[in-house]
Amino acid sequence: MKKVSPLHKSRRRTGLIFASPALILVAAFLGIPIIQAGYFSFTEWNGITAIWHGISTYTHELHNPIFWRVLQNNGYLLLGVPIAILFPMGIAFLLNEKVVGWKVFRTIYFLPTAISWVVIGMVAMRFFAQEGLLNGLLRGAGLGFIKTDLLSSEQGALFTVGITFIWSMVGTNTIIFLTGMATLDQSLNEAARMDGANNLRIFRSITLPQLTRFIQFSFIITIISAFTALFSLIFVMTGGGPGFGTTTLEFFIYQSAFSRGDFGTGAMLGVLLFFIMAILGVGQLLIMRNRDE
Amino acid sequence: MKKKFGLKNTLIFATMSLLAVVMLYPFIFMIATSFKSKEQYFGAPGHSLSSWHNLFKALPVGRQLINSTLVCAGAIFIILFVATMAGFALAKLRSKASPYFFLGIVGAMLIPLQSIIIPAYINASKLNLLTGYWGAIFVYAALGTPFATFLMTSYFRGIPDDLVEAAVVDGLSYGAVFRKVAMPLAVPAVITVIVLQFIQIWDDLLVGLLFIQDPNYRTITVGLGALSAGRVTDIPVLMAGSLISAIPAVVVYLIFQRQLVNGLTAGIGK
Repeated sequence: MKKVSPLHKSRRRTGLIFASPALILVAAFLGIPIIQAGYFSFTEWNGITAIWHGISTYTHELHNPIFWRVLQNNGYLLLGVPIAILFPMGIAFLLNEKVVGWKVFRTIYFLPTAISWVVIGMVAMRFFAQEGLLNGLLRGAGLGFIKTDLLSSEQGALFTVGITFIWSMVGTNTIIFLTGMATLDQSLNEAARMDGANNLRIFRSITLPQLTRFIQFSFIITIISAFTALFSLIFVMTGGGPGFGTTTLEFFIYQSAFSRGDFGTGAMLGVLLFFIMAILGVGQLLIMRNRDE
Repeated sequence: MKKKFGLKNTLIFATMSLLAVVMLYPFIFMIATSFKSKEQYFGAPGHSLSSWHNLFKALPVGRQLINSTLVCAGAIFIILFVATMAGFALAKLRSKASPYFFLGIVGAMLIPLQSIIIPAYINASKLNLLTGYWGAIFVYAALGTPFATFLMTSYFRGIPDDLVEAAVVDGLSYGAVFRKVAMPLAVPAVITVIVLQFIQIWDDLLVGLLFIQDPNYRTITVGLGALSAGRVTDIPVLMAGSLISAIPAVVVYLIFQRQLVNGLTAGIGK
């Protein structure tokens, strides 16, 4: 047996002391609250007193049509995810041609990631409004008869949130794919071309496989954003309305607790959101592990 | 080498220019609208500075910019303090407990803000943290720490163990190695953390909305969000406010674009 040296001991001790503040901070503001959320999800809670109801809080919610409506809204937003990935991928390919000024364009496309969803939402709202630019453009194109008032209908409002969400993901996803394309092995392309492969074939068999992990990464980032990053956008643009037209799960959590004072239901919905995210996270981890082996 | 500028490149350039207008649209709209009065926004010709004058009446802009700066600075300071130490410990001072510490801290990245916000809010209110900046500062710090720790850990892993051990054999304590050897090498990672967190916290609405109860302590983003939710109809004033709120983060982005991209793509791994 090797004896533990004093040096080794001091290293271990310093290591524990150094890691502790981070662990305590994370435990106090994230770890303990998620456990509390788990507990309170089984209760009727107004923030002060909590009455234990057990599993019935969950089964009760399953019979709430608004709850399903909210999940449906999340589902509709997820339909935007493929567009929010493929469109930036196309942009990254264009940028990667390195035409004059491409670095300036790259900076411009990524710029919106620096501004708040609050600001994006306020501008988007005016863009889609009845007297906004969208209708102006339609009129200009001779399509004035389509004059839309998207924000006043439930489907229309959700559509505007979805479009704004896709627009907001352009910068992030473009950068991810551009990073990916910088790692591409050009010699493979040339070898394939020598062997008589055409562009489409090269793209499918050589480029795409090399980009797989970047596609996965942008997929995960985009889905996480769809579930958890749109609060401010919805808060500013629609307030969840009209009706429950644009209330997503994350917004429903806020509404339940801070508009209706129903903290128990809010906690329960939060637990649900946590499980959705955890399943995605674990799935991502498994995919990555399989690939590495 | 001469670059050809054929039809293909011209088409690409045109497409990218069009796209640039689409991506810049919010800025174009904010600037153009803020220099109009309410009447001019609804069609009257000309420009005016009246909305900028009205902005300072509708929103305590100066105060809120200071609030935003203080909240960002406080949270980022805490994040750097705990994440650099934890990162160094998890990368260079490993013990049997390290993997569990790593899992505990970095695993918290999976927890969405909305899932913990209700208990965290109640806890903070019981601890009297909602009256000043502290509630928001701690929540932002806790939210930023997992990723910052992850980033610092992978960065410190790049420093050879031999370098650390040699310094210790030379008589430095591990704490001194951290301060004098590791930290100076970690400056790029520290900048990435600062830039990433600054933009995130500056732009956030939800935490500020709930954890800063006194309007005098509100950040600029929360101030704007509240104005907008109050359905203020003076759009040019709102746009002037939006523009002011966006400028600091945009400037930071333009200066530190590379670090921001590094931070963003750090999660993809090698």
